[in-house]
Amino acid sequence: MTKTIMVVDDEPDNITTVTSVLEANGYAVVSASNGDDCLEKLKTTKPELILMDIMMPGTPVRDVVKQITDIKIAYLSVVRTSEAEKEDLLGQANIVDFIQKPFDINELLAKVKELVG
Amino acid sequence: MPLDIEAEFKDNKTLLLLVPSVEYNHVVVDNMKKLAKEDVCYITLNKTFDSLKEIFEKNKIDISKVVFVDAISKTIKNVPTQTKGCYYLSAPNSLTEISLQVSHFIKHGFDYIVFDSLTNLLIYQKKAPVAKFLSTIINKIADSNTKGVFYSLDSKAHEELIEEASMFVDKVVKVE
Repeated sequence: MTKTIMVVDDEPDNITTVTSVLEANGYAVVSASNGDDCLEKLKTTKPELILMDIMMPGTPVRDVVKQITDIKIAYLSVVRTSEAEKEDLLGQANIVDFIQKPFDINELLAKVKELVG
Repeated sequence: MPLDIEAEFKDNKTLLLLVPSVEYNHVVVDNMKKLAKEDVCYITLNKTFDSLKEIFEKNKIDISKVVFVDAISKTIKNVPTQTKGCYYLSAPNSLTEISLQVSHFIKHGFDYIVFDSLTNLLIYQKKAPVAKFLSTIINKIADSNTKGVFYSLDSKAHEELIEEASMFVDKVVKVE
């Protein structure tokens, strides 16, 4: 069965790049342009994984993820955090990874495969 | 040749440093080793205060004279408005808050304002308000005894802002 990944990023270029690679590798992709859009789209779709930019306009991501309890989330972050902060972010129940931008698209794909198969 | 930031500041008050991404952290650390001997206000839009503290301490830089203005931590975790050595702003797109902090530290006679970085401002704002913001804070610096360092990634993607910013600063330095 085709697995669905939701890509949440306010940078359209990032969405385009990640979407094309994921689709080329057999995943279905739903995109959202910020946290609010993500929550809206989750009303009608349930992806296996959400790749979420950590810094976006609108509702802060830390508040968005609190409302998502049953889907794995991997952060995509342009922000550099300390090791302790990273551990803290990963300590939230469904946060499964922290991927630093800029990332190698093949490494991202490998992570996705590792997380959802 | 490595950048000699102290020498650059002998004849200039405001510098725009264009830094290649692979050298970015190295350049920031190297400059901080020299600037942190005096009073510095370090505005960060791409690394959290904790992360910067970790980096500078690892490089044995004394940051006791540095006050950080962290515009990103509040968006990823709960932090107070102020802790020892750091003011937390509500968001990286809050240009008014950043501008107020810059005025505050200029008024208090800080030697340097370090802005890290212009590139990150473009993630959250359109070019026009960023350019206006930039001209405003550079004018504030020009009317004071404070000096300003503005970092930007040396990238084609940000060519337009770099061109615009180049008109306001005293010197643009391409860091090799």
